[in-house]
Amino acid sequence: MKPKKLKLPKCAPFSKAHERYLRKLRNDKIFVLFFQILILVAVIGLWELLAQTKVIDPFFMSSPSRIFNMLSSLFASGTIWEHIGITLMETLLGFAISTIGGTLIAVILWWSEKLRRILEPYIIVLNSLPKIALGPIIILWVGSGMGAIIIMCTLICIVMTTITMLNAFVTCDNDKIQLMKSMKANKIQIFFKLILPNAMNEFISILKINVGLAWVGTIMGEYISSSAGLGYLIVYGSQIFRIDLVMASTVLLCLLAAIMYIIVSLIEKWHNR
Amino acid sequence: MKKLLEFKDVNFYYQTKKEEIHALSDLNFSVDELEFASIVGPSGCGKTTILSLIAGLLPVSSGSIILGGEKVGKENHQQIGYMFQRDHLFEWRTIWKNITLGIELKKQNNKEEKFELARELLKKYDLYGFQNRKPRELSGGMRQRVALIRTLVLNPMLLLLDEPFSALDFQTRISVCDDVFNIIKSEKKTAILVTHDISEAITMSDKLIILSSRPATVKHIEILNHNGETPLARREDQNFGALFDFVWKKLTNETEKT
Ligand SMILES: Nc1ncnc2c1ncn2[C@@H]1O[C@H](COP(=O)(O)OP(=O)(O)O)[C@@H](O)[C@H]1O
Ligand SMILES: [Mg+2]
Repeated sequence: MKPKKLKLPKCAPFSKAHERYLRKLRNDKIFVLFFQILILVAVIGLWELLAQTKVIDPFFMSSPSRIFNMLSSLFASGTIWEHIGITLMETLLGFAISTIGGTLIAVILWWSEKLRRILEPYIIVLNSLPKIALGPIIILWVGSGMGAIIIMCTLICIVMTTITMLNAFVTCDNDKIQLMKSMKANKIQIFFKLILPNAMNEFISILKINVGLAWVGTIMGEYISSSAGLGYLIVYGSQIFRIDLVMASTVLLCLLAAIMYIIVSLIEKWHNR
Repeated sequence: MKKLLEFKDVNFYYQTKKEEIHALSDLNFSVDELEFASIVGPSGCGKTTILSLIAGLLPVSSGSIILGGEKVGKENHQQIGYMFQRDHLFEWRTIWKNITLGIELKKQNNKEEKFELARELLKKYDLYGFQNRKPRELSGGMRQRVALIRTLVLNPMLLLLDEPFSALDFQTRISVCDDVFNIIKSEKKTAILVTHDISEAITMSDKLIILSSRPATVKHIEILNHNGETPLARREDQNFGALFDFVWKKLTNETEKT
């Protein structure tokens, strides 16, 4: 059966005030965008100027043109793709494992209040522990390389994910649960039809947090132990005093992180539509 | 009239770390089929507890509750409709999906019948055009109507209303009261309304159950005869003022005691 379209009264022609309001809205947007671009251009321009005039030493401080040249040669030789691929893979895997795994653990802890109470002190300790401290142990156990880095990345994100999602699950309005029970819903139904969709906002915000944390985890991991990846290039570049390489890798990291964040923002938009 | 619900010497205790809270004490009352009963009492006296017991969400400590000829217990198959202070519509679901939530939860095969009932109710109560809307697009009054229809779809033998109007502003409250009353009467449902609003209780109900402060016991039961008037008309009734004073006195005696 086709639903009837709701009939709304036809909008009156826009008033002068409304027109003015819309214009102001647009102007404000342009104003903000203009200054955003201006800051970027000014910083790059000033940096380049100071480097060209030798006020700062480009060997230590690099410069936009040198970074650009480094980037073009890295892409021209093609070796950079391998580093990007490895770092991206580590980050995405760490992100996916910790988001899914952390949420699953939260589900289990929501399900069993006993287990939740038993594990609570351990979760608190794990959360306050700086996960980077576990780096050497992880390398000892699984060896250096991708495995260790993905574990680092996962460790950094997963505890927060579990805590946030568990909190979202257990703070669901009790009356809503009573309502489901009065409709004779079982626990599985209560979870899938109420608890989980009710926690979607928190899930989206944990996605956003994890996007940031996953990059931290991967780069930390690559600093400690790696033979490839953007984090490796940064460490390697600084060891051989190739600041341009360090800067170029950092720029690439910024771009990748921004792209990932935009994708999550799009997911959020789609969810709130 | 046939008794639909009967409380027999019901006691209920909440167990907490600090103490045992005696919430209900030897509670006795009954509600007939098609009756609209209101329970009024000082806040915290145990009104919500009574509804939870009827719905089988809590077990009685002693005594018994008979609903539709069966003792209310763990394995309870009686369908009950529950409405709360807030409408508790699920914001992520459309109106149609909210209304059919109860059907979704059931494993039966005559679902199409229930869907048909849902469609009819939507049409009858002026919500048909909104079925694909999200709850946030509806006014407070409409939302409460949706919440009521959500429970009616399951064809409950008894409706429990726990201060369902207290979150609405005064104007909306009066008209939603009228709406809900008319829907319940035209769908031929038995209902129990819990409220601390005396005029609401007087204008809507056939039976008024006044409770003492905690532990709640029945202080007084008043049978009201409204000759089929609507709640709005009852506010104009000449007996309204006297009744209001009567209930008010009974309740203030109680509040002073605590
Ligand atoms: N889960 C609970 N645990 C302990 N005490 C409770 C619980 N729920 C309610 N109570 C206590 O029982 C009494 C009755 O509560 P309730 O039925 O909600 O009152 P009312 O709905 O009349 O305001 C109150 O004193 C309240 O503090
Ligand atoms: Mg209450």
